[in-house]
Amino acid sequence: MERLTPAFNVENLSFSYREALVLSDVQIEIAQGKLLFILGRNGSGKSTFLRLLAGLLPCRVGVIQVFGRDLKDIPMAKRAKMFGFLNQQHQAVFPFTVEDVVLTGRASYAGFSPKKADFEVVRETLEKMEIGYLRNRIYSELSGGEQQLVMLARVLAQQPRILLLDEPTSQLDFHHQSYLFSLLRTFANAGLTVVSVLHDPNLAFLFGDDFLFVKEGTIFRPPNGIEPWDAGFLNEIYPCEFQSVPFNDRAVVFPKITL
Amino acid sequence: MKTRNVITLIYVLALPIIVLSLFVGPTQSAGLGAWMDALWGRGTNTDLVFTVIYQIRLPRVLLTFLVGGALAVSGCSIQAVFRNPLTDPYILGLSSGAAFGAALALATAWLPVQLSAFVFGLTAVGMSFFMARKNNTVAIVSLILSGIIVSGIFTSLLAIVQYFSDPFRLQSIVHWTMGNLHLASATKLKMAVFPLLLGSATIFVYRWRMNLIALGDDEARSSGIHPGRDKAILLIAATLASSSAVAVAGIIGLYGLIVPHIVRMFSGPDNRQAVPLNFVFGGTFLLLIDDLSRSFAGLEIPIGVFTMLLGGPVFIYLMKKNNIGWND
Amino acid sequence: MKKILPVGLSLLMLVLTACVRHESSTGKFDEPIQVVDFRGKTLRLQRPATRIVCLIESAMSGLYMLGAENRVIGVSSAVYYESAAPHYAVLDQRIKNRELPAPGNWDFVDIESLVALQPDLVLIWASQTEAIEAIEAHDIPVYGIFLKSFEDVFKEMADFGLLTDCRPRADSLIGFARQEVQSLAKNHLSSPRRSVYFVWPQSVLETSGTNSTVNELIELAGAKNSCALLQEHVVVNKEMLFEWQPDLIVFWNNPSKQPVPLLIESGLEALKAVKNNQIYELPPVFWCDLWTLKFIHAARLLAKWCYPEEFSQLDLVSDQHRLIQKLYGSKAERLLLPSEQAKKNIP
Repeated sequence: MERLTPAFNVENLSFSYREALVLSDVQIEIAQGKLLFILGRNGSGKSTFLRLLAGLLPCRVGVIQVFGRDLKDIPMAKRAKMFGFLNQQHQAVFPFTVEDVVLTGRASYAGFSPKKADFEVVRETLEKMEIGYLRNRIYSELSGGEQQLVMLARVLAQQPRILLLDEPTSQLDFHHQSYLFSLLRTFANAGLTVVSVLHDPNLAFLFGDDFLFVKEGTIFRPPNGIEPWDAGFLNEIYPCEFQSVPFNDRAVVFPKITL
Repeated sequence: MKTRNVITLIYVLALPIIVLSLFVGPTQSAGLGAWMDALWGRGTNTDLVFTVIYQIRLPRVLLTFLVGGALAVSGCSIQAVFRNPLTDPYILGLSSGAAFGAALALATAWLPVQLSAFVFGLTAVGMSFFMARKNNTVAIVSLILSGIIVSGIFTSLLAIVQYFSDPFRLQSIVHWTMGNLHLASATKLKMAVFPLLLGSATIFVYRWRMNLIALGDDEARSSGIHPGRDKAILLIAATLASSSAVAVAGIIGLYGLIVPHIVRMFSGPDNRQAVPLNFVFGGTFLLLIDDLSRSFAGLEIPIGVFTMLLGGPVFIYLMKKNNIGWND
Repeated sequence: MKKILPVGLSLLMLVLTACVRHESSTGKFDEPIQVVDFRGKTLRLQRPATRIVCLIESAMSGLYMLGAENRVIGVSSAVYYESAAPHYAVLDQRIKNRELPAPGNWDFVDIESLVALQPDLVLIWASQTEAIEAIEAHDIPVYGIFLKSFEDVFKEMADFGLLTDCRPRADSLIGFARQEVQSLAKNHLSSPRRSVYFVWPQSVLETSGTNSTVNELIELAGAKNSCALLQEHVVVNKEMLFEWQPDLIVFWNNPSKQPVPLLIESGLEALKAVKNNQIYELPPVFWCDLWTLKFIHAARLLAKWCYPEEFSQLDLVSDQHRLIQKLYGSKAERLLLPSEQAKKNIP
């Protein structure tokens, strides 16, 4: 089978905020059409890495390639068609309708004024996500979970080949969480590359194809022969002890509880 | 009444109001009837009727409409750019900066009045923005606070210009701080029409993109739009329009804040509808206020005083009655 | 008393005919009238102005002194203020009946109302540049006025004389005023020069420096301006007043408060002038407007306040009668200054 160009190829990437080194010498490849989760402790640099991939932070040291092209050489409007980025949280200021919000995702296609086709894409996207009923609601009046789904719809309306998601479940209730992850699973199955930062390793293990771990400025996969849900491995990432419980062909993990 | 109908009404009534405003004024003998008579070659003193209507009222009516429209549109775009529904050219210090610039130009003749108003208007906005910026974000409250400070600085500088310029030249400077249209003329109209329209038209072109800008920088950037570039263009356009308005009509305080809020109640926040409606409603509303002030024979009340007196209560009423859409 | 009326009337007639005769004798005006206003702008009128809008109260007073009131078709709204209206109502029936339009003042000008009056001359402060621009855009001649000295007042009167075809009357009034000035200046004063601090109505600390009509007034009265700064208008520091220690403090057109309580309220009760009760207030503007020939009355009042002994012979009441009669005519004098009233106006 012919090997596909990786969605992202990161080489020698380092990044620092002012003096503090956040990422050092990152070397990673992200394959196309996979659902990939980035795990790690708070402040380990997960979001920074994602924002670098999204081009929201400048890549000064090292190279980031998207589908084989240097990110720096890709103009903004083109990038928007390659990947969409969903922020961890979003503060609404004006009471836009859901349709208005999702429509802004079409900016790289529509230029100064959205056309009929753009409205059509918005309608289809909302239908596909089964939130068509929200279309004429006021975005700022929705629940946090609904807002996050709408912002995801906005990114999908961009029709990107890669989704970059920063904590997409932070605002979601249980139902919405499982709904969102099955949705992401479907997208990945259909060939979309999904890269998501996530707090909850179990959700990642249940749905993901590939896993990246971030620790002290380095990004890595588990060593050969070790599964990501291995309690010993996880203990290196998160400084607490785990117990691993087999589930299907994988496992879920719990903090070790001593009673 | 359905908001759709209100919007239609605003568009439909604009032209008749512009035309009818030509027949409002202290000269009793230059009303609609006299004008008709004059057109048919009847009546006495047709020359006077034509002079008053075409040379005095027409430039004033057009200038008032343009100034009102431009201020409203500028306010609307500034609110989107700063993602802050509580700003307008006045609150950001733009008006005070422009008034200072215009006064300085008048007192010293270093620069053309319009250019000087524009430069100092832009300086004031820039100062407000950079004073409020911390860790790459601009908080709503900080921006208002720094706007107040910048506004105060330029008002003081204006006072210094007043102090050092001829005491008798002061009064035209004083007129600015209150806003006045009573000396509107064809010359002023010609002077201001281009920047007013250019600024407003630019904002009109960017009206949909303002929705995206209002969502936030990350959102704009990830949708393929340079937020910095768009914001700079919108801000320069808004400054161009409102500083020209200040140069010809003085500081019409808070107009750019009140009108966009009123308009948003009818059009919703979608700037595709809101921007053109702001222009038309902003123009018509200021014209009506000016008609009111002109119908007091001889007595000229500065328009800025009127907009504050009328706009203030209207604004508070609407704020109490409706959720005008800013969540803390 | 009744006998005075015909005498006064005939005197007035004499004055007026002086104006009228000149016009009729010349008949046509082949030579255009040419004057340079205070902006330095040359005005050319083909004929004397007959429809004048005068937006300055003092200038209007000047026109009335010339007997040119019939040429005035619009005035400053200040003319209708409570402090001025009764006086002008006496001089002009149209003001009494509130029929004379007032399309503006020193501050605002209603261009539409002004143009609708179709004036052939507008008198306005030279500083109202924007308004002037707007008026001139309608091809209406504008005479801009800016008065810094009594000499400027004379020039203004002379120009008005030309513009309204009342040159002889203007010359006679200017000649009279010059004589008065000389006679005051001539007074040989044996006592040391006294210093005067002048107070504008805006604030106790607002006064005039040496480059002003106020300064001229004080000099004319034989006194010295306490404020030696150059500015026309200036707000001074309270401490300066104690440093200057003026002999007299003179209020001008003080709006509401009595001078002495105002000085005490402002913390100036320790001033020598306050202790010595040397606080004076000039009568309402109409009687001693510094921007008209009526400044003579103000100068004489001030002179008497400064040097009561030297001017013991000066009867201010009859002096004011004489001045008003000379400037406005006998009828106006009788109506403006009935004997009771006259006493009230002289402190």
